[in-house]
Amino acid sequence: MTSIKIPAPTPDTKPSPDSGQTQVQRLVKAILTQRVMLLAILVVLVVVIMSALDAAGFLAGSYNSDYLSSSLINAVPLVMLGLAQLVVIVSGRGGIDLSVGAIVSLVGMVFGFFYGVWGLPLLASVIGAIAVGAVLGAVNGVMVAYLGFPPLIATLATYYVFRSLAIVINNQQPISTKPIQDLYSLSNSVEIPLIGQYLPNVPLGVVLFLLPTVVVVWFLLNRAPYGRRLFAIGTNDIAALWSGVNVAASRAIAYTVSGAISGLVAVVTVSQFASARPDAGDSGSGMALPSITIAVLAGVAITGGIGRVSGVVVATVLIIWLNAGILLLFVGNVGSQLQSLALGVILVFAALLNGYTNRRYRVMG
Amino acid sequence: MRTASALSPRGSETSTPRRNRIRQLPAAVSGQEVVLVGAIVALWVLLGLTTPAFLSAGSLQPLLSNIAPIAIIAIGQTIIMISGGIDVSVGSMVLVCAVVAAKLMVVFDTPLIVTIAAAMLVGGLLGLLNGVLIAVGRVHPIIITFATSNIFLFIGLRIFDSQTVTGIPPTLAVLGKGINGRFLGIPVSFLVMIFIAAAAWYYLRYVAGGRHFYAIGSDGPAARLTGIKVDRRAVLAYTVTGLLVGLASCMILANGTQNLDQTVGTGLSLATIAAVVIGGTSVLGGRGGVLGTILGAILVQTVASGVTQLGLPSQLGDLFVGLFIMVAVGTDLLRARARRRA
Repeated sequence: MTSIKIPAPTPDTKPSPDSGQTQVQRLVKAILTQRVMLLAILVVLVVVIMSALDAAGFLAGSYNSDYLSSSLINAVPLVMLGLAQLVVIVSGRGGIDLSVGAIVSLVGMVFGFFYGVWGLPLLASVIGAIAVGAVLGAVNGVMVAYLGFPPLIATLATYYVFRSLAIVINNQQPISTKPIQDLYSLSNSVEIPLIGQYLPNVPLGVVLFLLPTVVVVWFLLNRAPYGRRLFAIGTNDIAALWSGVNVAASRAIAYTVSGAISGLVAVVTVSQFASARPDAGDSGSGMALPSITIAVLAGVAITGGIGRVSGVVVATVLIIWLNAGILLLFVGNVGSQLQSLALGVILVFAALLNGYTNRRYRVMG
Repeated sequence: MRTASALSPRGSETSTPRRNRIRQLPAAVSGQEVVLVGAIVALWVLLGLTTPAFLSAGSLQPLLSNIAPIAIIAIGQTIIMISGGIDVSVGSMVLVCAVVAAKLMVVFDTPLIVTIAAAMLVGGLLGLLNGVLIAVGRVHPIIITFATSNIFLFIGLRIFDSQTVTGIPPTLAVLGKGINGRFLGIPVSFLVMIFIAAAAWYYLRYVAGGRHFYAIGSDGPAARLTGIKVDRRAVLAYTVTGLLVGLASCMILANGTQNLDQTVGTGLSLATIAAVVIGGTSVLGGRGGVLGTILGAILVQTVASGVTQLGLPSQLGDLFVGLFIMVAVGTDLLRARARRRA
């Protein structure tokens, strides 16, 4: 993917200091400053180590391409919500969206009504879910961009409101009528046409939901005028204002996009559970925490203005394949608990690395 | 703008000469706190009228017992947020402290003081880890505490060893809801909370070290230039919060049953942040106080217990918490806007 050209104060083509560096120094700098490169190396490392452990007989199952491919179904909600956080965090002024999990819960229930109870056609229900998600996101957007709420507070408040509504809307009951149960087929793995026989089967959700979202968000950020405005307000919103950008509207749209993506994730989650559960997105530690973790791991600067779609995708693949390996390495509860340890340790390192590269090279991302 | 309003009393801008203003503290009670007291009184009267049992001692005593732990954690959270930070790992810290204390009592039958000391030691260490990582890494606290929250979750769940802790002895009863946990009819845990709140209030208001947190929250780099040890202050704030979490965990244990399951602490991080924010402390740092936080905790917990007493689904309480945050912060924003115009 082409890189986003960020109007950073010190661009990569710094004149003199680089010229005296050795090949190794330049390589180290590239790995430290270009997060996608570092993540890609880590992905290869994880796959190689796990395959070696597999070959040595330490794993409870085989860590092969079919297993890796089928585990990608877990990446679908994670990448999509990671992209939602990317858009919001890039918009700057402490941008963050704690309410994504609650939106997933609430829209999941609404989608359950649309498709499972009122019997609307599937396409209309999905579009309806995205629209409702966008409206909920717009509530965040208006509070942040027009009323001046700190994003953390605005989305904390809506997190509580949406979560509560999701549970109350159907008297704490999940919706699992026949049409909803049949949606489970969306989680199946399918063969890719034409070249599919040479590749492992891919979960349908990856093709139907993940790829379109990635393409749309990538296009929005890198090829549409809106993307330019978003990075501009995230980098310096006063400068953006003086250059004629409608800062408030651009920021509000970022939260609306986040809500719309969360609405689509709700459909994915409903199909995975074969049921619209009122606590789908916020049970336990919820979906907001992992999605923020992915965004930070992807090198998205929490201060805004810096972040790449490819980083989110590769960071998620890293987490998913590492988790898949851990599950085979440690059987039972220990495995799933170790996943949260891995997530925490990786996030600490990613954050410390962000801070270090920022001070060392004055760039991040 | 924020700095000025935090350090000078409202309305004195026009009359007081400039050099006197520096020595003055903000008003003892802010507008937000007056509104909160009004809201709590209105809520209690309303609940008292609709469910007559609400204002009886049998109903208020458990309410005060439930307020105590959340308020104690929120006091630590207040200090952190005044200095411009945030701690979203307190929920997972409660999990670790509570399971350590519970296992100690079940396996070794430790006495009251040892149990509380152990829980506070564990909490203090976890908080110290947060503080050191934030001070050394210069990373936004929300990221670090999100990360350590995951790590603490792992530690806690490993100590649980996939089983509910059963048969917890009533060692901690003095901090609990029962008849043993009362002094002159008031829950001991609530009195402990009041004592800690008073100490924190005095420290934040009249001790130089306490004022430093406001300075750091208003403008970190400027505070550093005036000689404040910003990093040490951060480590202190997170460590103190850890100690308070340890104490609060003992109260949560004492309020619970003989069993402790793995969901303890879930949602507490956001609940304490909600209490602090409703209490008028700015998430951007530099403004706020302990008094508002206590009122915020009382309001949040009153709503939670009121909703169940009215026979509504308990999750409806979250709806009101969310709306309270919107109203509290919204009015604060409006007041700030009015100040700017004036």
